[in-house]
Amino acid sequence: MTGASAFQKDYKTIIPVEALARFVERLGEQYTLTGPVGGGLTARFEDVSSFSQMDLDYQSTMLPPGKKYLFEPVQEVLSFDISEGRFLEDHKDPQMRKRALIGLHPCDVNAILYLDKVFLGQYTDPFYRIRRENIFTIALNCKSVTDLCFCHLVGAGPYLKARSGYDILLTELRGLLTDSGVDSGGSGADMDGGEKKFLLELASEKARDLFHALSPDKGKPPEEKDLAKIKEMEAALLKTFKKNLDMEAVQNALLARPDHHALKETADSRCLSCSNCVMVCPTCFCHDVRDETDLALSRVKKIRRWDACQDISFARVHGGNFRAQRYARLRQFVFHKLDYDTQFGMKATVGCGRCIRWCPTGIDLTEIAKAMME
Amino acid sequence: MINGSLAPVKAVITDVRQESPGVKTFTIEPAGTFTMETHPMAKPGQFNMLGYPGVGEAPISFSVLPSGEGKKNKKDKKGKKIFGHTVRTAGRVTGFLSQFGRGDELFLRGPFGRGWPLEEVMGKHLLLITGGLGLAPLRPVIEMARSLAPIEVTLLHGARGPEDIIFKTEFARWQRVGAVKIGLTVDNPGQEQEIAGDIKIHSGLITELIRPLRIEPAQTIAFICGPEIMMRFSARELMLKGMSGSAIHVSVERRMKCGTGHCGHCQIGPWFTCKDGPVFAYDQLKGLPDVIL
Repeated sequence: MTGASAFQKDYKTIIPVEALARFVERLGEQYTLTGPVGGGLTARFEDVSSFSQMDLDYQSTMLPPGKKYLFEPVQEVLSFDISEGRFLEDHKDPQMRKRALIGLHPCDVNAILYLDKVFLGQYTDPFYRIRRENIFTIALNCKSVTDLCFCHLVGAGPYLKARSGYDILLTELRGLLTDSGVDSGGSGADMDGGEKKFLLELASEKARDLFHALSPDKGKPPEEKDLAKIKEMEAALLKTFKKNLDMEAVQNALLARPDHHALKETADSRCLSCSNCVMVCPTCFCHDVRDETDLALSRVKKIRRWDACQDISFARVHGGNFRAQRYARLRQFVFHKLDYDTQFGMKATVGCGRCIRWCPTGIDLTEIAKAMME
Repeated sequence: MINGSLAPVKAVITDVRQESPGVKTFTIEPAGTFTMETHPMAKPGQFNMLGYPGVGEAPISFSVLPSGEGKKNKKDKKGKKIFGHTVRTAGRVTGFLSQFGRGDELFLRGPFGRGWPLEEVMGKHLLLITGGLGLAPLRPVIEMARSLAPIEVTLLHGARGPEDIIFKTEFARWQRVGAVKIGLTVDNPGQEQEIAGDIKIHSGLITELIRPLRIEPAQTIAFICGPEIMMRFSARELMLKGMSGSAIHVSVERRMKCGTGHCGHCQIGPWFTCKDGPVFAYDQLKGLPDVIL
């Protein structure tokens, strides 16, 4: 696109929440608006009709928004006509609806950047590509940290460091407290009674064009003291993380101990092989491809569905199963997230903590890794 | 809308040949939307996803390649380019394929994966070690071996019994035309003591053929294909002779659904068998979890 070089990546402005709301609602004339509703740790990304429906104080969701909208749980890939013996050319195109994903936390934005490597690498997945091209991503820096978050260990949060791959980055300036730190549970909202404002950063040309065309209030450029305050907020937030693990030391260290007792004991005593960890993981991309024939024997649909390495049949082949043992399957998940950085040149975990939160028995991959390195 | 990788194309079977009990070679000719031009030229060691909609797909290596055959076989009688897959009846898809005959249509996608490192063969002793159907992905290599300029080619092949040895009728030609030295061994010796080309059939493990072999480790490159446990002990035997793991190449099998590194089923450590393999240097896989190598 022309003008790419002229685009200034560091365009920043401070706008009040009302102005942001009006911009988002204007955006809603072109895009389906999708954002967090419900709040807390069990918020859900859903289509909304207004800005106020969203709860931007949410802490986490069960299903990661990127995976939910870019790599759908079930996808019809192809359709085959049995009597004619051919694939149908008129197979419906993937949903092309333009969607604005609003309020993604940095971990979830980084997860999308990871999925980009999976599905837009050597081979392009057409379904992922078309959806990716049609989303407008508004990221939101975190203002609180949960007990299970460890994004800070892998550079995936709590503030977004990536400069591209999304469109707008928001940082909330409300309740900027230099004295008592940042509120940690979202319960202290509006405690200072001040006006709610956002630092808005444009990270794409599309964002620049849309913001300038649609936002009635362009806000004002941040002053030095505002930016200093944001740095302070980030530093304060970093102090609230509870989880710790030396991610550099983990690299290759787990692989050196593939049969460590911590893995076996965790698997034998607690792992249910339920695959919750995989389903809620924002970077887990594995899927199954199956042919489904209708009862009239006229059509075959090639269907793609999320699949999980925790399932006993996942690595089964004729004559055997490469991961017949439960601990081998748990190991695949833990090692893939923490040790196989060479696969796509980045950590496969973004530290969102969902796999820990939604594990029925609370299995914690960082605790397994720690025990393995002792 | 769907580009290359997930959309299968129709192809026609021009010939079926029974190689051994339960094993057939299907010679395939492009048809319909499928041409050699739209289908990038395949390399030995790569595979196609073969199957039929409603039944499923299975990854099968090329056992016949247009570029890999002698001049006579390069094209069929009408002058069309052909290729082939050798398939053992094992599961649902291969069981379905086994019923196919000349003129039947099937669907395929590919070629996928990284093939044998042919560029490393020049000036080396090319050592091919195969077990059972593992000979199939190396057949195109044998056919083109002379063009790769090795100093020597040795094929050591093991099978369950003499009747399970595939491509039997090719051995004499490989010896004569390709100057391939051939050793054969079976687990269960039968009546057959030798086959065409005066090759004596040894009885025992493939490692018993490797052990007496004289090789110059630095001047040797090994391509191994067979059951994983057989590749494990073959590679060890070669390393005991001083070969480095980087000069030993193995072709592994895993569950594959997509062929494009997306579905994740075939992962071994950080690798995707379908796109980073199925041919790997032994060094790349050794020590990774869930491998028998």
